[in-house]
Amino acid sequence: MDGHTTEIRFAATMAAFGHAFSELRRALDQTQLDEATRYQVELVFEEIVANILRHGSPGGATLAVRVELDVRDDRVLLTFVDNGVPFDPCSHPPRVLATALEAGGLGLGLVRRAASHLDYRRTPQHTNRLVVTVPAARSRAVG
Amino acid sequence: MEMHVKDVDGVVQIALVGRLDSPGVDQVETKFTARLVPAGANGVVDLSGVEFVGSLAIRMFISVGRALARKQKKLVLYAPRPLVNQVFESVSLNTIVPVAADYAAALAAVRG
Repeated sequence: MDGHTTEIRFAATMAAFGHAFSELRRALDQTQLDEATRYQVELVFEEIVANILRHGSPGGATLAVRVELDVRDDRVLLTFVDNGVPFDPCSHPPRVLATALEAGGLGLGLVRRAASHLDYRRTPQHTNRLVVTVPAARSRAVG
Repeated sequence: MEMHVKDVDGVVQIALVGRLDSPGVDQVETKFTARLVPAGANGVVDLSGVEFVGSLAIRMFISVGRALARKQKKLVLYAPRPLVNQVFESVSLNTIVPVAADYAAALAAVRG
């Protein structure tokens, strides 16, 4: 299905994360994305939301997260908005080797590999807004 | 997330089933670590039932693998699905925690 858009709002807690992930997967069930693209979309969702949970609120307040899934012909746009501390993933060096674990950034490295483009800005409303573009392929039609 | 455990000839065999995303790791990490590290047992982990892994799962495997290595024991993963294996390969997990094709290869690696 082209032009498929879904918005998911949830609190940045592990329980809500699980429910939001299920909601994302139900939305992806409605698309014709192939398995590999779908995996990359889920991986981006996993890593960005996990990062918000772990690092977005040093003071411990529960954050609000909004994720928009926009499935287009040749790409999938994932937009993440959260009210956590400013964090620009584009400004962090990519680290993809497991041996660089101690330095952090393993998850962001996976996001960079999955994405063709990342666009971050801090909004006037003091939220982080990150748009991740994942190149898309379609499952072949059967029959 | 399900975890099934058997002890066979001194090797702890663990089968993980489900999704190793953050909620999945949150459910299983304490049990997984507790089953392997305190006893200092060699472990082989069947990943054929795991649909998804993210970086937290990779961190869990590396953490347990390194803890076992300090006790001269090994952790070996086996039979990951192709998309899961692609994630492992993208971070060179095999340089720290061996990833085998099947159970026989995992057993050979853990005893080798």
